[in-house]
Amino acid sequence: MKKVNAVVVGAGAAGGIVAKELSTAGLSVVLLERGRWYTANDCRKDDLRNQRTTVLGNAFGPDDEGNPRVVWDPQTGPRTLLPSEGGYQNNAACVGGGTLSYGAMAWRYMPQDFRMRSIYGAPAGSSLEDWPITYDDLEPWYEKAEYEIGISGDYSGSPFFGPRKRPLPMPPLAPNREFQILEPAAKRLGLHPFHIPMARNSVPYNGRGPCMRCRWCVGFACEVDAKNGSQNTVIPTALATGNCELRTECMAKEILTDDRGRARGVAYFDADGRLQEQPCDIVIVSACAIESARLLLNSKSRLFPNGIGNRHDQVGRHLQGHHYTGAVGFFDFDTYDDVGPGASIAVADYNHGTPGLCGGGALCNEFIRLPIQMIDRLPVNTPRWGLAHKKAMRSFYKRNIAVMGPTQPIPMADARITLDPAVRDKWGMQVARISGNVHPHTFEIGIVQAQRSEAWLKEAGAVSTVVNAGRPTTVSAGQHQAGTCRMGNDPQGSVVNRNCQVHDVDNLFVIDGSVHVTNGGFNPALTIMAIAYFASDSLVRNWNATGFRS
Amino acid sequence: MMRFFKFAGIAVGLAAVLAVGGTYSASWYYTSQYGQGCASCHEMAAYVRVVHGAPHRTTGCMDCHEASLSTKLRHMRIHIFGTVPEAIKLRDVDVPAMTSNCKSCHQHEYANWHAGPHSATYSQIFTDPVHNSKRMLMDDCLRCHGSYFSGAIRDLVQPLNTKGPWRVIPSGLGDQAAMPCMTCHQVHSEGAQETRPASRISVAGAAVPDSLAFYDRRETLHFAAASLSTPQLHDGSRTVTVSHDPRQALCYQCHAPREPEAGSMAAINAWGPQVGSGDDRTPMGVHEGISCVACHDGHNENTRASCKTCHPQMSNCGLDAEKMDTTYANSASVHNIHWVKCTDCHQHGIPQVKAKPAIKAKVITTPGMDG
Amino acid sequence: MQSSRDGVSLTRRQFVAAGAMGGAALAVGCTGHNQGDWDFLNDEQARTLTAICDQIVPADDFPSASQAGVLTYIDRQLARHYRRHRNAYRDGLSSADAMSWQRHGRDMAALSAPQQAQLVAAIEKENSAFFNLVRSHTLEGYYGAPRHGGNRDAVSWRMVGMGEPPVRGRAQYDERKGAAS
Repeated sequence: MKKVNAVVVGAGAAGGIVAKELSTAGLSVVLLERGRWYTANDCRKDDLRNQRTTVLGNAFGPDDEGNPRVVWDPQTGPRTLLPSEGGYQNNAACVGGGTLSYGAMAWRYMPQDFRMRSIYGAPAGSSLEDWPITYDDLEPWYEKAEYEIGISGDYSGSPFFGPRKRPLPMPPLAPNREFQILEPAAKRLGLHPFHIPMARNSVPYNGRGPCMRCRWCVGFACEVDAKNGSQNTVIPTALATGNCELRTECMAKEILTDDRGRARGVAYFDADGRLQEQPCDIVIVSACAIESARLLLNSKSRLFPNGIGNRHDQVGRHLQGHHYTGAVGFFDFDTYDDVGPGASIAVADYNHGTPGLCGGGALCNEFIRLPIQMIDRLPVNTPRWGLAHKKAMRSFYKRNIAVMGPTQPIPMADARITLDPAVRDKWGMQVARISGNVHPHTFEIGIVQAQRSEAWLKEAGAVSTVVNAGRPTTVSAGQHQAGTCRMGNDPQGSVVNRNCQVHDVDNLFVIDGSVHVTNGGFNPALTIMAIAYFASDSLVRNWNATGFRS
Repeated sequence: MMRFFKFAGIAVGLAAVLAVGGTYSASWYYTSQYGQGCASCHEMAAYVRVVHGAPHRTTGCMDCHEASLSTKLRHMRIHIFGTVPEAIKLRDVDVPAMTSNCKSCHQHEYANWHAGPHSATYSQIFTDPVHNSKRMLMDDCLRCHGSYFSGAIRDLVQPLNTKGPWRVIPSGLGDQAAMPCMTCHQVHSEGAQETRPASRISVAGAAVPDSLAFYDRRETLHFAAASLSTPQLHDGSRTVTVSHDPRQALCYQCHAPREPEAGSMAAINAWGPQVGSGDDRTPMGVHEGISCVACHDGHNENTRASCKTCHPQMSNCGLDAEKMDTTYANSASVHNIHWVKCTDCHQHGIPQVKAKPAIKAKVITTPGMDG
Repeated sequence: MQSSRDGVSLTRRQFVAAGAMGGAALAVGCTGHNQGDWDFLNDEQARTLTAICDQIVPADDFPSASQAGVLTYIDRQLARHYRRHRNAYRDGLSSADAMSWQRHGRDMAALSAPQQAQLVAAIEKENSAFFNLVRSHTLEGYYGAPRHGGNRDAVSWRMVGMGEPPVRGRAQYDERKGAAS
C-alpha cells in the first residue's frame, strides 16, 4: 500500500477534525472508520432502535454481532455484554461517531475545570490532577470549533464561564414551554439560567437549514441535517481537499512500529475482513476513550510488551464518564409542547464553589422524553403495570419535567480498561474489559445535585418529584467516556504530552476524549473538538518544521 | 471427491426441481381468486385478510401487484429460508407498476392527478436548480417528495451540494412520480368487517374513508386520515379557525406550519405556530375555517370553478371572482385567496351603494414570517 | 476422519430433508406450516401471552396490549432480535399455565380478568425474571414505534396526547435574510 503522511483511526468528533486540519494543511491522510457512513434514513426515528433506546439494537453501531465487551462488576464478576446492552458503555461506531446522533450539547469547560487538583486537592483514593493546559490555551480553539462546527445558544445569562472573544455564531432556538416554566423559577432561586449551547442550527448556517424542532433528537440522526457533527462539517471539507481518503468498515488491529520504536503504520481489517497494512509517517488514534486505549494495549511489540505508550501502566486508567443525577417533577398543568429538542435551559451556578464539594456540574432540563422512555419514570408508588400504570402514563406524559446534570467525576486509577484474557471480537482481537467504579465523592456530589434539581422543579410548581441519584456498581463511561490516555507533563503519570503526543513515541498521537485529565461538569463534545483543533495546530506546525523525520 | 460430486449432483438436481416445480405451483397461487393462494402462505395471510375487509376485497393480488419470475423466486427463497422481513413492504421498484395498475380502474382520478402538481416526477423535484442552488437537499425532503423511495437522499440525487449539476441516480426513476397514489391512499386497510379498536379512536371523530391515509415514510405505514391531527394556528396572538374536515388533515401532513423562528415576535411572545409559516397554506380572513378540499380538487388540486360554488354572480362590488388574481403565490395581491380580508377591499366599512371601489394595492403581511 | 464423514452425511441428510420439506410444502400449499399469524408462538402460547399482556396494559377507553398489536410485536421479535429470549418465553408461558391449572384448574386464558390479574401478580413474585421480560416487551410493543407491529395506528401516542405523525413544517429555502453561510 502506498505510504501516506498520516493515518487517523476513528472518524468521530476528534478524528474528523484532525483529518480536516491535516488535509487542508497539505498532508495526505487516510481516515479509518470501523463503522459505516449512516444517514437519517437508516434509523428513521425508530424509538426502539437508536443510540439512546437500544432494545432492538444500536442504530449507528457497533452491531451486536461480534463486538462484545466484558464488564467487571464487583457484585457479579465478569459479564460479557452486547453493544446494545446497558453497561457496554457504548459510543456510536460510524462516520461522525457520537456526533451523528448526540444531543449536541456543546459546552466550554470552565477555567476551574482544568485546575481541579490545585483548587480542591485530590480526594483520598482519587487520581485527580490538573491539566497541562489551561482554559486560556484552549479558548481560541473553542471558538474555532464553535464557528466551524456551528453552535447555537447564549451563555450571557451565566456569569460563571471563562472569558470569550466572540459570541456564539447562532442565537438559541426559540424557548420551549419547559424553558418558560423553569426560567422564572431559577431566577426566584437566585440562579443564573441560560440557553444551552448546542451544535444545532437555529438559523441557516454552513449551507444547511435550521432545526425543525421535531421530537426525536438525542439518539437519532437529523433528517433536516440541522444537527452539526463531524460527518456534515469537517469530514466533507477534508474529503473535498482531495488529500483525505475515508475508508469505512475498517477496524484497526494495531499500530505497527519499527525497530526503533517509532510508529510506521497501522494494521487493520478492511470491509471484507482482510488484514491490510497502511504505512505512514504519523499515526493519530481518535477512537474514543475505550477503543483508543484498547488499540494501544493491543499494539504489542518487543519494545512495547505491554502495549504501545504503556511503559508506566497508564494506558486505560482513569476512565471516567459522567454520573448523571437529577429529578423528575410532576405538574398539574401541561409542561409538554412537542417542541424539540426539548433540552433548552441550564444553570451553571453549581459547577464550583460549594464548600465541602470537589466541584459539581451543570443542571439542565432533559431532551423530549418519548413515551417509551417514560414507562419507568412515573410518580412514586405508581404500580409497574396494570390500569394504574396506563392511567399514569396518560396523566403525566405531558405533565412532567426532568432536570438533571453530569457531575464532574473524580477520577480513579482503578477505573480502567484492560484487555480481557478470554473474550475476543469477530476479528479475533482481545476485547476491552471495563473495571472499577465511580469515586464515592462523585456520588456525594451527585446526591446534592439531585436535591438541587428537585428544589428547582418544586420552585417551578412541581406537585411531586422523583429523585434519581443511584449508586451504580460499575464505572459510568458511555458516550462521555474520557481519561484513558490522559495528558500530562510527567510521563510516569500520563500517556500523552500537552500536544497529545505519546510520551514514548514522537510520531504517535492520541487525540480524543482519552486525553482529558478531568471531564468537566458538562458534556465533553466541544472540548474534544477544541483539543482536536489545538493538537492539530501543533502537529501541523511540527510537521512543517521537521516532517517528523528522524 | 466422488462423494462431493454425488452431493453436488443431488443438490443441483433438487434445486432445479424446486425452482421449476416451485415456479409453476407458485403461479397457481398468485393467480388464484381473491388472493386465496397468496394467503395460504402464513407470511402473507394477514396482508390478504385486511384487503378482504376493504373496497378492494374482490380484487386479486395480481391485479395490482406485479409477479415476475424473479419476484416469485424471491418469494419462494424467502419462504423456504424464513428470512421474512419484520414487515412486508412494497419495494420502491414496484411502485410505478402499481400506480399504473391503479389507473386501469380509476382512470378519471388518475387523469386528474396526472394533470396536477402532485404528479411531479423525481427529476422535476430534485434537480430544480432554483431550489438546489439555494438549499442543500436532505433526507427529510423524502418525507413528502418521495416517501416510497427506500434509500437516503444521497442514493437519489448527486451531487449533494449547491453547485450542481444535479442528476437522479437510479436509472429510470427520474421520470417516475415522486408522490404516487399510495402517498395519500391505502389499499390494504381493514374495513368495518374487522374489529379494530385502535382505529376507532379518531382525533377528528368524523367518518372518513379508511382508504384516505397518509403514508408515513418513517414508520413505512399508512395513518388513516381520521387519526391525523390538524394543527392549532395563530395569526399573531389570535387563534385562527381551522376547519375540522378530517380529509384535510392529510394535506397538513406536508403543508404544515413551522414552530416560530428564534427571535421572531411569535417566538418572543410564545404565540405558537403562525398561519403561512413553513409550508402552511391555511386560509384566514374571508375564507377562514374553510377546508382545503372545499376549493381544491382532491386529485389535481386546481380550484378552477370552485369560486362559483359560493360566488355564483358578480359580487356586490361588481368584480368577477373568477377573474381576480387570487393566487396564493402572489402575496401582494389583495385577492390572495388564502388571506383576503373584508377590510382589504372595504377599508371604510361596507359601502352603501353598489359601486366600484378604488382598490389600492396593499402588501399583505403575515405576522411571524419575518422579524 | 470419522467425524468429517459424519459431518458430510449429516449435512446431506439435512439437505435432502429440507429439500423434500420445501417441495412438499410448495406442493400442498404450505398446509404443514404454521397456519396462524405467528412467526414463533403457537396458538396456545399466544392465548396465554395475551392474558398476561392484557393485564400489563388492560383495555379502558383505549385498547389493551393485545388489541394494539403487542403480540405481533413480541412474536416478530422472538423470531428476530429477541431470539435469545425464546426459551424464557417457552418455559415462562408453560409455567404460567401450570400455575393456572394448579390454582384454578384451567388454562390462564380461560380465567376471569380478576383471576388473571391475581395470577400475573403471582408470576411477578415467583418468576420475576420472566415477568420483567414480558413487562418490558409489552410496554415496548405498546408505547414503541408502530413499524414493529405494536402500537397500532400509534394509538398509545395519541392516548398520551401526541399527534402522530407530528404536523411539522420545515424552513423554506428562500425565506431567511442575512443568513450566515
